[in-house]
Amino acid sequence: MSPSASTDTPAAPADRPRALRLAKLLLSEYFVLVLCVVYVAAIYPFVPEILTWQVASNILGDMMPLLVVAIGQTFVLIIAGIDLSITAIISMAAVVGASVMTGTNGYLSGSAVAVPAAILAMLAVGVAVGAINGLSVVRLNMPSFIVTLATRMFFAGLAIWYVTFHSTSSSIADLPASFTAFATGSVLGVPYTVALAFAIGVAAHVLLSRTQFGRWVYAVGANPAAARISGVPVGRTIMLTFLISGACASVAAMMYASRMQTGSPIAGENILLDVIGAVVIGGTSLFGGKGKIVWTVFGVLFLLLIDTSMKLLGSSLFMIYIIKGGVILLAATVDTFRHHLLVNR
Amino acid sequence: MKTGNRLVLLLLQNAPYVLFVVLLILFGLVSDRFLAVANFRNIVIQAAPIAILAIGMTFVLLTGQIDLSVGASMYLTASILAIYLTGIPWPLGLIAVMAMAAAIGAVNGGVVTRLGVASFIVTLATLFILRGIAMWLSNTRTLMFPDPITDLNRAHVLGVPSAIVAFAAVFAVAWLVLHQTPFGRQVYAVGGDPEAARKAGLPVRRIVFLCFVIAGLCAGIGGFVSITQIGAVGPKYGDQIEFSAIAAAVLGGVSLFGGRGSVVGTVFGAILIKTVQNGLNIINADPYIYPLVTAAIIFIAVAIDGLRTRIIEKLERRTIRPLTGE
Amino acid sequence: MATLLEVEGLTKSFFGVTVLHGVGFSVEKGKALGLVGENGSGKSTSMNILGGIHQPSAGSMRLDGVPYAPASPKEATAAGIAFIHQELNLFPNLTIEENLFIDSFPHRGVLPFINRARIRRQTEELLSQVDLPHRPSTPVSKLSQGERQLVEIAKALSRNARLIIFDEPTTSLTRPEVERLFAIIARLKARGIGIIYISHALEDVMAVCDDITVLRDGHVAGSAARGEIDVQRIIALMVGRSIDAIYPERSVKPKDDVVLSVSGLSQPGVAKDIGFEIRAGEVVGLAGLMGSGRSELARMLFGLDRFARGEIRIDGKPLVDPTPATAMAAGVAFLTEDRRGEGLIMDFTIAENMVLASLPTVAGALGLIDRGRISAVAADMGRAMHLSTTKVDDTLVKHLSGGNQQKVVIGKWLRRRPRLFILDEPTRGIDVGAKQEVYRIVNGLVEAGSAVLLISSEIEELIGLSDRILTISRGELTGSFARGDFDREAIMTAATGLAGATEMRA
Repeated sequence: MSPSASTDTPAAPADRPRALRLAKLLLSEYFVLVLCVVYVAAIYPFVPEILTWQVASNILGDMMPLLVVAIGQTFVLIIAGIDLSITAIISMAAVVGASVMTGTNGYLSGSAVAVPAAILAMLAVGVAVGAINGLSVVRLNMPSFIVTLATRMFFAGLAIWYVTFHSTSSSIADLPASFTAFATGSVLGVPYTVALAFAIGVAAHVLLSRTQFGRWVYAVGANPAAARISGVPVGRTIMLTFLISGACASVAAMMYASRMQTGSPIAGENILLDVIGAVVIGGTSLFGGKGKIVWTVFGVLFLLLIDTSMKLLGSSLFMIYIIKGGVILLAATVDTFRHHLLVNR
Repeated sequence: MKTGNRLVLLLLQNAPYVLFVVLLILFGLVSDRFLAVANFRNIVIQAAPIAILAIGMTFVLLTGQIDLSVGASMYLTASILAIYLTGIPWPLGLIAVMAMAAAIGAVNGGVVTRLGVASFIVTLATLFILRGIAMWLSNTRTLMFPDPITDLNRAHVLGVPSAIVAFAAVFAVAWLVLHQTPFGRQVYAVGGDPEAARKAGLPVRRIVFLCFVIAGLCAGIGGFVSITQIGAVGPKYGDQIEFSAIAAAVLGGVSLFGGRGSVVGTVFGAILIKTVQNGLNIINADPYIYPLVTAAIIFIAVAIDGLRTRIIEKLERRTIRPLTGE
Repeated sequence: MATLLEVEGLTKSFFGVTVLHGVGFSVEKGKALGLVGENGSGKSTSMNILGGIHQPSAGSMRLDGVPYAPASPKEATAAGIAFIHQELNLFPNLTIEENLFIDSFPHRGVLPFINRARIRRQTEELLSQVDLPHRPSTPVSKLSQGERQLVEIAKALSRNARLIIFDEPTTSLTRPEVERLFAIIARLKARGIGIIYISHALEDVMAVCDDITVLRDGHVAGSAARGEIDVQRIIALMVGRSIDAIYPERSVKPKDDVVLSVSGLSQPGVAKDIGFEIRAGEVVGLAGLMGSGRSELARMLFGLDRFARGEIRIDGKPLVDPTPATAMAAGVAFLTEDRRGEGLIMDFTIAENMVLASLPTVAGALGLIDRGRISAVAADMGRAMHLSTTKVDDTLVKHLSGGNQQKVVIGKWLRRRPRLFILDEPTRGIDVGAKQEVYRIVNGLVEAGSAVLLISSEIEELIGLSDRILTISRGELTGSFARGDFDREAIMTAATGLAGATEMRA
């Protein structure tokens, strides 16, 4: 028999308000955002540039592909899965899209529909790999970690191979201007990429928090057996999260390809751990049932703030690695602590 | 009907082995060089580092945890060996590498068991930190190892190549520990049901902690064997090798959810992966398709495992009434 | 005969709330004491004190005449006290012998290796004592639930247990397994081992125990030898009042229109040729033992398990290849026997659980879910269910008592206004007050014209609530009893598949 929460011994009167305020802050949805603000305030004296428009827009530009992938990953993590194949999807989609629209020996070189067709092809790659992942998990009963590890290995390799049929170099260049304009152009002062990522973020947020499908995602992640008995189509829900993750990775591929003006099989190669790190820093659980899109936004922002400020400080790559690792560890420890607080509340 | 079922089950239960035999036959048909004894020795030598790594990973996986930092640990310990410990005799070098790697494992295990943070995250973070430190120490240069260390690659013990000796020793010790000691059986107990293990009075934290130390230790040994083979390490050294180690273990039947599998399977998984690459090499396949084939093999083996679990569940489902006559 | 355990004046309070008031009982060597009482009566607290998990605020215990005050579970084990819990503490991925010695493997001399020969020999010896004809190297995953329990008993014996405490040992056993368990308990008694037997199944208690102690609200409500007390008297002591008042009267009679009609439902190894009807406003009880196929039948009706042949009709419309979604669309609701594992999402709030099966009804414009509406409907339902808390948006269901959790499950389904409500063990593990609430809700449901299929292990409950009782055994219906001629003995006989009913029809 455990003591009930209501009979908890009260803390010493003087400590109580402060402890309470600290607990409230720790438990707040916006904890990571608060961390971001605190971090900027702390780092500002050393790198005042961090608050300049130039740097801010750089952070935004770096953030968008990462954010879009992280949004997709959030869905998969909430159903207690994981998608390691995202970087391979980005590579594969980038080279397939480029092979369609490149001006040099592209499938549709010079055609008016080249760019739309390429975009569709890129989306198709993401959805197809997502479908393989989802079907393997749902129908073949395979753990998502291994499925996506295998598809990651497969499509990362395939992307490199694919380029050899379309280019003499290691990537496919000569992309149409109308495509690369996506990275540079803006609408009403808002870069296209930011607008698109914002739209995806809002859509994902609404989908997760305000629709039946969203409730299903959480229910499946928290307890698939109970979800099934409540009439939730468990298999279809899992399937859809992998499709969403795949499609998001495709969108990130478009962003990378247009920015680099080339379809590279190593586009986004190194972002996997950043993505998972960012989502987890935001507070989404690896064990399913818990997570939010805004949390992911904050997590990505926080990781990039650290990244950028360290670069501005002239830190080398290794310093950034060390600090990033430390921050992920710290965030996870704080999250564990938060969890204890919530349980004992 | 019943014998048919049993045959299917037997095939499914030994899927990786069946797959292995099929591959042997296929490669053997294409090239007569493949089935030569010398080639098998090569495969085992090539598989040694990853297999040793995967053996350590097996301990961690058996407790239901994961260690993503082993590749980074290899890189850092090798860097320290190349930069600071150049002059020392190789046995001391090996011991130093093992000690450092075990200490890294102890940090992982300590954070996981004391702070209660998910091992995926802890080791993801240490991966970053260790790689960062190694790049800092090495200035992201490629580091060369002196001859005494690279000579080990050509050394033999009683006619057996040194890599195979190390491989066999680690395997034998790991097998004995897992199957013949109380600790080993308790590892299975903790992975099978941590709550029940706690109730049975087992020191769950200490067991999980020790498994991380063992994974670290194996990363040290595996790393040492691999530097004797390649002689130099750069910033990409050990990158993503943790995934190969996990794949080898899972291929050999180790469950990611803990409590199921053995080092025998793991070693087999590592050899299977290397056999594929070796076979492709011998039949002069396009190098681009190596990762494709490897990925496909892993996928198929795990898919079969999932199928097997489902069939076993179906066959072993308790019936309420006799099945005869219906 | 000598007294093995003597408990006197046991008192325990948590944070100022006293949950045990001077409880006392004793166990003789070679005898079994039945300890019965509602949830919250103090059984588990007493046992936790006995097991060294809690320490008493006052009172004393003597084991074999020696003062006994365990400070930890380890000390309790060392003193020769063993627990066999409802949820077994075994590792299915290990063998029987490894399970028996998991925390005390003998070494091979000075070597750190397990002395396999020795544990094999000892395990063989122990297994023969509990009549388990398996090899020590058999993995526990291959054993049935009843066999696993015998392994637990063997484990207790390997630790030289003097007193073995069984906590609800029969809930997940089939009848033959129960019989075998009772035979083993008799053998343990003959060896002089003392038994404390805790169960809600009073028939089992009467079959096993020599003495019975009834707890209520932390007090001993009564104590007697088996011969001096009967089940009715025990129940009266447990609830503190006469049993008739528990089942509320119902104002309506079953109507003529058939809600559920099942015919020829068969699945190899699970069900054979099951056919019955339930009319609107009717409660049909399904009596059967654990493993009789009663829960499997419910799961087939709700589309959770497949069936090979047969037809299910709801309100006359056939339900072809049902899935939970199509069954729900046809008006079926299902309360599972596994409340924690399948009935609820423990980490969700009350409100989130309440609306999970009826999400479209809380959607507003554009099909978007309206949080305000979720709160409102959940709060309404909570009031209707007499939930203990009104904070439906903030309270996670894992923080509720069993009875309140069950009300959330029922509320979740009532929101769909089911035509047919299948209730599988709706009152398992909840106290008598919550039970009455459940009965009241069931009555409200049938009065509104729904049909109810009620599955329960408690025959009294079936008799108290049903208009008709069907019995099931080995996947076949073996009898049907109308309310007028409910007869405990006859129902039990039919439910156990005795009287050769199954053989004669086969």
